[in-house]
Amino acid sequence: MPKGPWEVMGPAVPSQTDENIRGRYVNSFKVLAALVIPLLLLTVLVGEDPYQIFLTVFSFCLGVFVWVIDLGVKIANAGVGLLGWRFPAWLSGAHIGGLVHHVVLFLLPFVLILMVVQLLPAVIVWMELKAAAHMQVRLGPMRVGRWHGWAQPFADGIKLFLKEDLVPAKANKWTHFLAPVIVLAPAYICYAPIPFGKTAVVDLDIGLLFVLAVSGLAVVGMLMAGWGSNNKYTVLGGLRAAAQVVSYEIPRVISVLPIVMWAGTMSLSGIMTAQEGLYAGFLPKWFIFYPVVGQISFVIYLITTVAETNRTPFDLAEAEAELVSGFHTEYAGIKFSIFFIAEYAYVFLGCALGALLFLGGGAPLPFMGWIPSYVWFFGKTFFLVFLFIWFRWTFPRIRVDRLMEFCWKFLLPWSLVNIAIAGLLML
Amino acid sequence: MIEKIIFYFLTVMVLVPAVMAVTLKNIFHCALFLVLSLTGVAGLFAMLGADFIFVAQILVYAGGITVLLLFVVLLSGNPKDWIIKQVNVQWFGALAVSAVFVAALSVLFRFLPLSSGLAQAQPTTGLLGLLLIRDMVLPFEAVSLALLSAMVGAIHFSKKE
Repeated sequence: MPKGPWEVMGPAVPSQTDENIRGRYVNSFKVLAALVIPLLLLTVLVGEDPYQIFLTVFSFCLGVFVWVIDLGVKIANAGVGLLGWRFPAWLSGAHIGGLVHHVVLFLLPFVLILMVVQLLPAVIVWMELKAAAHMQVRLGPMRVGRWHGWAQPFADGIKLFLKEDLVPAKANKWTHFLAPVIVLAPAYICYAPIPFGKTAVVDLDIGLLFVLAVSGLAVVGMLMAGWGSNNKYTVLGGLRAAAQVVSYEIPRVISVLPIVMWAGTMSLSGIMTAQEGLYAGFLPKWFIFYPVVGQISFVIYLITTVAETNRTPFDLAEAEAELVSGFHTEYAGIKFSIFFIAEYAYVFLGCALGALLFLGGGAPLPFMGWIPSYVWFFGKTFFLVFLFIWFRWTFPRIRVDRLMEFCWKFLLPWSLVNIAIAGLLML
Repeated sequence: MIEKIIFYFLTVMVLVPAVMAVTLKNIFHCALFLVLSLTGVAGLFAMLGADFIFVAQILVYAGGITVLLLFVVLLSGNPKDWIIKQVNVQWFGALAVSAVFVAALSVLFRFLPLSSGLAQAQPTTGLLGLLLIRDMVLPFEAVSLALLSAMVGAIHFSKKE
C-alpha cells in the first residue's frame, strides 16, 4: 500500500477533521450553486440572443429620450414663441432619436470589443493570481473587494495608472512611445471576426487567416520596444521574442490547416457550424475528436500558442535571471501595464481561437443544447485559459537553443506529417 | 465619399513612409516606415475587395519579411552604425531604372481598364485556390521550385566551411 504524502508527513492537519470536511462539502455546494444559478437565470431570462434584449431595452430608452426632447422643444418653443421665434424643424425628437439610433448601433460592436479586450485581462489576471497561489499552497489576494480579492487587478490597474511614466534619457522617444501601442492595437483588431457564441462582429471569409496574420504584427512592437529603450537587455529580449514568435507562427498556421481542409472554409463561423452535430449519436463533432489528426493538431496548436504569447515554458524573452525583464524592462506605469494587457488579450485570443477551432466554439455537448452558445464559448475559452495558467505554474522554462530546435525539428515536421495524415483520412 | 477619404489616406500611408524609408538616416526607423508602407498596401488591397491578398500581404510582408529585416538590422553591427550617411553614388543608374519603370507603367496603364475598382469584399480564396492548384498548377510549381533553389543557394553561400 503506497503512502500518500499526508501519511508520510505525520498526522492529519486540522483542516481534515470531520467538521471541516462537512464545511468543505457545504462550500462546494455553494460554489456549484454560484455556477448553476446564474447559468439558469441567463438561460431563462436572456436566452440565445442577448442582442434582441438589448434592442428592446434600447428602443424603449430611445422612445423615452425622444419623448423628453419633444417635450423640451415644445416648452422651449412656447417660451420663445412669446418673442415671436421658433426653433428650426430639424430639432425634433424623431430626428435626433434617429441619429442616436444609428450612431449607437454603429458603435456598439466596437464598444463591445473594447470592453472585452479591456476587461478580460483583469479577469484572467485574477484567475492567474488565484490559481498560482493555490498551486503553491497560498491563498493569493483575499482582501481587495472582500470576496477572494476579486478587485485586485483593478487596484493594480489604478496603481499602475498613478505611477510615474519613466522614459530613459537616451531612449528613442517615438519608438519607445509607440511600441506598446503597436503591441496592443492588433489585439483589438483580431477580435473582430471571432464569433462570441453564434455571431461575430464581421464574418470575414478569411477570418482564421486574418486573426493569425494580424496578431503577428505585434512582433514589430516588441522589436520597437527592445530597440527604442536603448538598453542591451531589452534589445536581446526583443530579439528573442521576435525570433520565437516568428518561428512558432509557422507550425501554428500549419497545425490549423487540417481544420480548414476538413471544414472547407476559413471563415470562423463556418468552421464553427461544421463542428455542430454528433458522431454516432453521442460524441460531439468537435475537431479535437476527429481521429488522430484532431489530437495532434490540438497539441501542436496549444504548444505553439503558449510560445506565441511568450508565456512560461517558453518565456525566454523575459527570462528574469538573464534579461532583467525582456523587452519591457524600461517601461513603467501605464505603458508597462499596456504590455501586460496585450499579453493577456493575446492569451484570451489564442484560447478563443483554440476553443473555436478544436472545441466547437458555441457548439454544445449532447443534451445540453439549452445552454446558450455564448456560455459554451466562454466556458471552453476559460478552460483553455486555465490550461495556460496551469502550464505556467508547473513547467520550468526551457533553454533558448532547445526552444528553436523544438520548433524547427519537432513541431514543424510533425505538423506537416499531420497534414498528410489529414489528407489521407479525408480522401 | 468615405471611400475617397480612405483611399487618399491609404495612399498617403503608402507613399510618405515609402519616401521616409529611403531618405531617413536611422536604418531602424527606415525599416519601421517600410512596415507602415506595406501595411498601407494591404489596406489598398482590402479596398479593392481582394481579401486573401490583403491578409497574405499582412502575413508575409508586414508580419514576416519586415520582421526578419528588423531582426537583421538589430543583429548588424553596433548602434553607432545604425545612423548611416546617405550615399547616392549610383543616382544616375537609379534614375534611369526609375524612368524605364515609369514608362513601362504608363504603357501598361493604357492597356488596362482604369475602373474605380471599389468592390464589396467577396470571398476570393476559393477561386484563388482553384486557379493556383488546378488551372495554373505548372507555373505555380515552377515558382515554388525556383524559390526552393534560391533558398538552397542562400544556405550554400552562407554556410561556413
